[in-house]
Amino acid sequence: MENVEIEVRARTVDLAIEAAMQELGIDDPKRLEVEVITEPTKGFLGIGAQDAVVRIKPRPASRERRRRRGRKPGNGQEQKRPQGRHESGKNGGRSGRPARNDGRQARAEDRRQPEKKEKTVPDDRPVLPVEEQAKIAREFLEGLVEAYGLEGEVTTRIEDDVIIADVSGDQTEALVGVRGSVRAAIHEITRTVLQRHGQDSARLRLDIAGYAERRRQALTIYAEQLIEQLLEEGGEIMLEPMSPADRKVIHDVAAAHDGVTSYSEGEPPRRYVVLSKVEDGSGSDSEDAVSNDEEE
Amino acid sequence: MAKGEIVERVVSYIVKSIVDEPEEVVVDVIEQGPNEVVAEVRTAKGDLGRVIGRRGRVAKAIRAAAAAAGEEEGIVAGVEFVD
Repeated sequence: MENVEIEVRARTVDLAIEAAMQELGIDDPKRLEVEVITEPTKGFLGIGAQDAVVRIKPRPASRERRRRRGRKPGNGQEQKRPQGRHESGKNGGRSGRPARNDGRQARAEDRRQPEKKEKTVPDDRPVLPVEEQAKIAREFLEGLVEAYGLEGEVTTRIEDDVIIADVSGDQTEALVGVRGSVRAAIHEITRTVLQRHGQDSARLRLDIAGYAERRRQALTIYAEQLIEQLLEEGGEIMLEPMSPADRKVIHDVAAAHDGVTSYSEGEPPRRYVVLSKVEDGSGSDSEDAVSNDEEE
Repeated sequence: MAKGEIVERVVSYIVKSIVDEPEEVVVDVIEQGPNEVVAEVRTAKGDLGRVIGRRGRVAKAIRAAAAAAGEEEGIVAGVEFVD
């Protein structure tokens, strides 16, 4: 996960960071390294306006933060993007103005000020062990199922510091919702509960009545079909906009196939995955494909 | 079972689980029509921000959870966060 790096374009730097945090599944801005590639410009009456572009990667939680800026040759998503479509912010002025990238590397610490304003309490919350957080999540979900008057079972386990919560039982189908909308809502709420109890809350995956698993399987089949087509025909395939979780599934499938790479483009909620055939051998190592570590 | 009982229970449970002062949480379920209720949520001042969340994300999630609770009762349920 540490070598994941994503580039996000949005109207403001803050929006881009927020979108990236969502995409990477990181709640805590301290766990990000943020590099502002292009500052947004307003333009005149919207003409010549330019979005902010930031490059973001997660910082290992406990280790010394690294400031590795370069990347392995052939490992950059940019290089793989076809020039025509690639709208990098590097020489980004449609107005001819050079991108203001004067060595500004706004790290997450520098950005904590605005974060704090939004908080209503000083951050004296403890850092809880992940087991403790899993217990909080499980108890919350059990209480929630009961509040709905449903019967169901809640289990949690921990894999690589990620809490995997599973709500099961026939009746819990009611908590899935149209296209998983209620499941997504409960996921958001459970994360908020964890955040209330401690800082640096662990990542959480939540499945209800097997929905996420079924969705993952369906998306996997879909992605495999597209990849097969791509390998025959070459070029790129843009998928429809998807949630971070769904994009992660696509990235994972792409990473497991040689000769294909994937990256995300666009701003949430219209952010989508592009699958791209790697035309020659160089840099085609699928392990190096951009696999946004999109959570859950 | 009173109309909106599940909605009240679910909304109140969620909000109390999120805030710092659960004892200050008040949820009033108000009938809007034969099959429609709105849950009015009041919290301690400092807690409202957390209940609404950044860009309303948590509020939106609570609304979705409440709507699902309404469905359990065959009613339409909304949520209003009262300042």
